[in-house]
Amino acid sequence: MDPILSGIIGTLLVFFLLSLSMPIAFSMMLVGFIGISFLTSFDAALPVLARTVYETSAHYPYTVIPLFVVMGGFAGSSGMTRQLYAAFDKWLRILPGGLGIATIAACAGFAGVSGSSVATAAAMGTVAIPEMNRYHYSPKLSAGTVAAGGTLGFLIPPSIGFVVYGMLTEQSIGKLLIAGIAPGLLLALAFIIIIVSWVKINPEAAPSRPGSVSWRDRFAALLPVWETLTLFLVVMGGIYFGFFTPTEAGGVGATVLFLVAFLKRKLNWQTFKASLLESVSISVMVLFLVAGANVFSTFLALSTIPIQVSTWVVSLEVSRYMILAIVILIYLFLGCFLDAISMMVLTMPVIFPVIINLGFHPIWFGVIAVLMMEAGLLTPPMGLNVFTVAGVAKDVPLESIYRGILPFLISIFLVVLIIIVFPKTATFLPNMMLR
Amino acid sequence: MGKNGIIKFWIQRVNRWVCYGGMLLIIPLMLLTSADVIGRVAWARPFPGIVELSSYMLDVFILLGLAYTQQVKGHVRVSMLTSRLPQRAQIFLEIVVTILSLFIMALLAWQGLVVGMAETAVSDMLRIPQRPFKLLVGIAGFLLCLELVVDLAAACSAVRRNA
Repeated sequence: MDPILSGIIGTLLVFFLLSLSMPIAFSMMLVGFIGISFLTSFDAALPVLARTVYETSAHYPYTVIPLFVVMGGFAGSSGMTRQLYAAFDKWLRILPGGLGIATIAACAGFAGVSGSSVATAAAMGTVAIPEMNRYHYSPKLSAGTVAAGGTLGFLIPPSIGFVVYGMLTEQSIGKLLIAGIAPGLLLALAFIIIIVSWVKINPEAAPSRPGSVSWRDRFAALLPVWETLTLFLVVMGGIYFGFFTPTEAGGVGATVLFLVAFLKRKLNWQTFKASLLESVSISVMVLFLVAGANVFSTFLALSTIPIQVSTWVVSLEVSRYMILAIVILIYLFLGCFLDAISMMVLTMPVIFPVIINLGFHPIWFGVIAVLMMEAGLLTPPMGLNVFTVAGVAKDVPLESIYRGILPFLISIFLVVLIIIVFPKTATFLPNMMLR
Repeated sequence: MGKNGIIKFWIQRVNRWVCYGGMLLIIPLMLLTSADVIGRVAWARPFPGIVELSSYMLDVFILLGLAYTQQVKGHVRVSMLTSRLPQRAQIFLEIVVTILSLFIMALLAWQGLVVGMAETAVSDMLRIPQRPFKLLVGIAGFLLCLELVVDLAAACSAVRRNA
């Protein structure tokens, strides 16, 4: 059989197995193995599986994943979420929709020490939603704010999304992480503008404002913000100035947060165990997806599909931005059904060579891809962050949360558009890095 | 508790404790990494062999957590289509998918042991043999297969209950 035809059949088979609810990593391994056996020989395919799993699970740069996840776990245990929210609430509550703005600011702050968006949404939801309910905020606004704010964890470094993109495309993870800072802050600002506009148009959405706070209390509440900011600056500054690699940054960040939680006596056996188990299950899930994607990519490379597709796309006489728009639409569609990391491992083997052949900047495209994955965390019917928030705000119907998310979703697309029109938004910081 | 219940209890218990053993390695991993950074930045004295040690620790951390992640259904899957089917069809598909998963993971367990036994290399700096860490792929695959057998047994007993 023609290798290209076998590659197409293999790709369709993966999607068929996904629709049967087979774990995505196992589906890619199974189809990848069958495909390699078919295109080479059964004996040649046999050791590929075990070798790929070993090479993935013992690859030093991948240690960054459990370290970034455990950072978020220790940050949550140390009470950082609550303190950040309390601080931003004291400073921002006087603004229209102030509690919502404080939620976005606290999400951005927590995202600076946590690699997982679902963890950010879950941690912030338990703190911010009851408070917004107390001041009679519209459930659509409060749930939409937390679900959207949670996605900042995927963009603002440390971010698992950039790590996986870097792994799959062999780009510098340090540069990718630094590239996420400016778009992350831009997106947080866009979310804040959405909240202010929402409340200006419909004051009923945030009818009452909490009372004023003395300046003394405001400054006293800043201490935990400085803790988070200092940690973020040490970790990301270390990467930026070339003092350490992202993996080392993860080690330093996790150690500091572990010591902070321990010294504050916030770390008991239960919270410690929960942080470590979360780190194990997320890391295994991600690395097994990467191992599955690597086996499947070997098969795809043998089928020559990636090179054929990228050559064909480049030969089309259409604007490269038209192709980019199609890629973005594909991500928007896939985001309705797949989670962020799965979407990345399934698409990158084919889409990345196309993007590079079209002459786009790989780090810049990483930011676009991560932003689209973020949108996928919010799009119905399978928005992971929406389900997380629905678990916290049990009395708010899922439809209301999705309606509340819509303006935030539009703002993500606007930020994507800004980054396409002004690519330097994403590339100016990594371009200035020392190494 | 019947005989099947006891087997399930012990498989899940062993896999949980195996995972606990592996997950604790994250503490030396982060402490050693921090010590290496401090030593290098402050005194220009990096910790020798840190990359090798970290890689091996990651290997143990991930592979010992493989079966537990299946136990807590942590391997991501898309259940949007199957969840709309009648219960009987869902159970049937669950059996098919578990058998396919079992097939590929049994291959991983078998080949993990074959590739591991054939390994004779040692690490560059600390001269640590790679064999036990490669063999761990086979052991992790075997433990994952046990977890999949538990899932298969649960799906089969659901068929019997529905019959």
